[in-house]
Amino acid sequence: MDAPIPSGEERSIRRQGGATLDGAPIAYVAALAAVMIAFTIVPLPLSVVIGFGRSFPLSQGLYGLTGWLLGPLAGALANGIGVLIGVFLNPQNTTLPIASVVGAAAGALAAGVLGATDTRRRWALPLALFFGVLYMLYGGRAIVQNGANPWAVLAGSFIDWSALLLFLPARSWCARWLRHSNLRQVGAALFVGTWISSGLAHLTSACWVYFAYNWPAENWWLMAPAAPLEHLARCGIGAIVGTGVIAGLRATGLLKPLHAAY
Amino acid sequence: MNNPLVRLERLSYQYPHTETLALYDISLEIRRGEFVGLIGPTGAGKTTLCLALSGIVPQFYGGRFFGRALVAGMDTVEQPVSALAARVGMVFEDPETQLTATSVENEVAFALENLRTPRPLMRERIARALGAVGLAGLEKRHPHELSGGQKQRLAIAAALAIMPELLVLDEATSQLDPRGAAEVFEVLRALNREQGMTVVLASHAAEELAEYADRLVLLDDGRLVAEGTPAELYSQVALIESHRLRPPQVAKTFSLLPHPPARLPVRLEEGLAALPPCPAREPLPQPPAPRPLAAPLITVEGLQHRFTDGTPTLTGIDLAFHPGEYVLIVGQNGAGKTSLVKHLLRLLEPTQGRVMLWGRESRAWSVGALARRIGYVAQNPDQQLFNLTVADEVAFALRQLRFPPAEIAARTTKVLTALGLEGVADRHPLSLPKGDRARVIIAAMLSLDPEVIVLDEPTTGQDYAGARAILELSRTLHRQGKTIIVITHQLYLMPEYAERVIVMGEGRVLLDAPLRQAFHTLEVLRETRLTPPQAVLLGQALCPAAMLLTPEEVARCLTASPPAGGAP
Repeated sequence: MDAPIPSGEERSIRRQGGATLDGAPIAYVAALAAVMIAFTIVPLPLSVVIGFGRSFPLSQGLYGLTGWLLGPLAGALANGIGVLIGVFLNPQNTTLPIASVVGAAAGALAAGVLGATDTRRRWALPLALFFGVLYMLYGGRAIVQNGANPWAVLAGSFIDWSALLLFLPARSWCARWLRHSNLRQVGAALFVGTWISSGLAHLTSACWVYFAYNWPAENWWLMAPAAPLEHLARCGIGAIVGTGVIAGLRATGLLKPLHAAY
Repeated sequence: MNNPLVRLERLSYQYPHTETLALYDISLEIRRGEFVGLIGPTGAGKTTLCLALSGIVPQFYGGRFFGRALVAGMDTVEQPVSALAARVGMVFEDPETQLTATSVENEVAFALENLRTPRPLMRERIARALGAVGLAGLEKRHPHELSGGQKQRLAIAAALAIMPELLVLDEATSQLDPRGAAEVFEVLRALNREQGMTVVLASHAAEELAEYADRLVLLDDGRLVAEGTPAELYSQVALIESHRLRPPQVAKTFSLLPHPPARLPVRLEEGLAALPPCPAREPLPQPPAPRPLAAPLITVEGLQHRFTDGTPTLTGIDLAFHPGEYVLIVGQNGAGKTSLVKHLLRLLEPTQGRVMLWGRESRAWSVGALARRIGYVAQNPDQQLFNLTVADEVAFALRQLRFPPAEIAARTTKVLTALGLEGVADRHPLSLPKGDRARVIIAAMLSLDPEVIVLDEPTTGQDYAGARAILELSRTLHRQGKTIIVITHQLYLMPEYAERVIVMGEGRVLLDAPLRQAFHTLEVLRETRLTPPQAVLLGQALCPAAMLLTPEEVARCLTASPPAGGAP
């Protein structure tokens, strides 16, 4: 340290009192919920998605970011509140509001665990099992109950099963690179991490929507090329916005939430 | 000094990820009922000290904290911020960032609701707080319908409603026009004198602190350099200037006399009382002969603008800007200054009338094409920063305009060096002090080498040295032939720079005149809530015909007259 030696006694610093949720100040949770509301209102004009008669909100690219900034539980709450209010303000961006809310929360939960280096790492296996069961229900209903072509289901749910497959093996790498001093590595981890977390968010909400409405078996083939493109856009949003936010937070030096992964 | 409200004991603090101490071994006591001004250059540690009084430093930032800070007997490291918030009211620089509610009374109620104040008591407190800041009767208004001064007074009311023992204000008047700032200072004086509230105010407003504060604390480089009454501290002009600050113009004026009085006057009325009668024999400064002007680059003809809700912002503006001019636009908050310059950039479209730019109507230009010719630095630099490094921020526009990489590198290096930012090229812009962040935006604008440069409140929040550095840069650019348009409330900074002044009020041009004439048209300045520099007022009292502008001119005039006699 270049600084002169202070004559006063060094004090132990911790956040005293104040409301926190799983180590994240409530003020941070509220701020990110507000950000999520704003991004839920902004549609992404991606032509391939608009071709399906709808667009998706920018917030879908940031589900993981709240998990990395706040930790898994606080991130899930911020996403849930943000998207809940957001779907009321902008209902055309959702198929089934409750599915969007739960999916957003699941995305932050998965991201928080993906970036964890502490005891939250132990949540990974149960969480992977949970998402595995969801995928079995989702695909199983399509193939077994609705008679969809298994290859079409696999192709149409590529973003879901690829996220599931990457979730456990990518944990250590993702957690390490999210904390890297080089922002290129942070950006790469955000890109891949968003693929995984938003993929698992998609799996959660898609499963719910499919059980509520089903969709024609032919749609699985239509989804096969469109869904990955849409998902790459989410990853781009997550990487670009996330890198800027993390760089800014590091620069301003605000106290990090206990389970933050940057 | 028994039972002080604030006791700082060898307080040192280091922000995380930094290698230097933001505060170093500060020991200070503040008595109950004192009005203390914190002064110091940008980066001196004023904001950190304000945040330390409320526990936000270190509890929100982390870092390393040494020593003790006791406020009302509470240790700010050991007590939760929420508990400290009931004793310490905080008001920050930008009132917009502090207002969240949809009505004035809801804004004041917010903190009380959080403290679970019973409803009848809440109503009583809201009424009392709004009454104290002169906003009674505006309870149902939306905060965004208020003027800048009213918004800041509302932020103060919100802090007052919890009846804090200590009110801490960090640069709370720097974004306000002079009248708005005066309103806030008057409210603070009333709270301090009538209710005994302890006030700590960090500010660069030397004239106002001399008028209102009981004691000043001078910080520099995180250290407490000096403390004393305004008369004691501001009369040490050399000390103040050695710390990149400026004393009140009254003190500066008398310090320039060959035989300055033992104790310099620091308040305007003291200075006026010390003035001799108008000397008849002093050489009056002659205004320079007007330069011949080339055909205008920009003409504004019958410009009117209304917001979408019908609110008029500009009502019939006719102006011309000539190549190589240095123009100052002044006026109260909401006078239409920023709206006018936004029309030059096509960021706003005329409701009626037209703007001609280089012989073509504004609608014939794209915003991008205009941005290459007119560089614009907006009021709040933080709203223009979004890149990850200072160098990327400066190079951003060049990359978007597809300049060759070698030229991008050359231009970036050149402007970073010109602005003294080469040492922080790889830093994140938000990690820099506010003064440096403003210079980053100016550097980014200059990288495009525009013909016209518009600086909208470029010196807000800057210390004197920082403000002068920015204006010196504008002078250099002016000498290179650029057309400079500056908007500012800080009139005392401008006599050395601007040639022409456009005074605006309520969307109209009230006066368009050479600077010397404009600064001495006091009735027009007052009409738009502007306060002339103290040197102008001294000059008016001493010798109105001379139209004196600066402490140096007034001192020269005084030197030519019989000695001023003893100052108070």
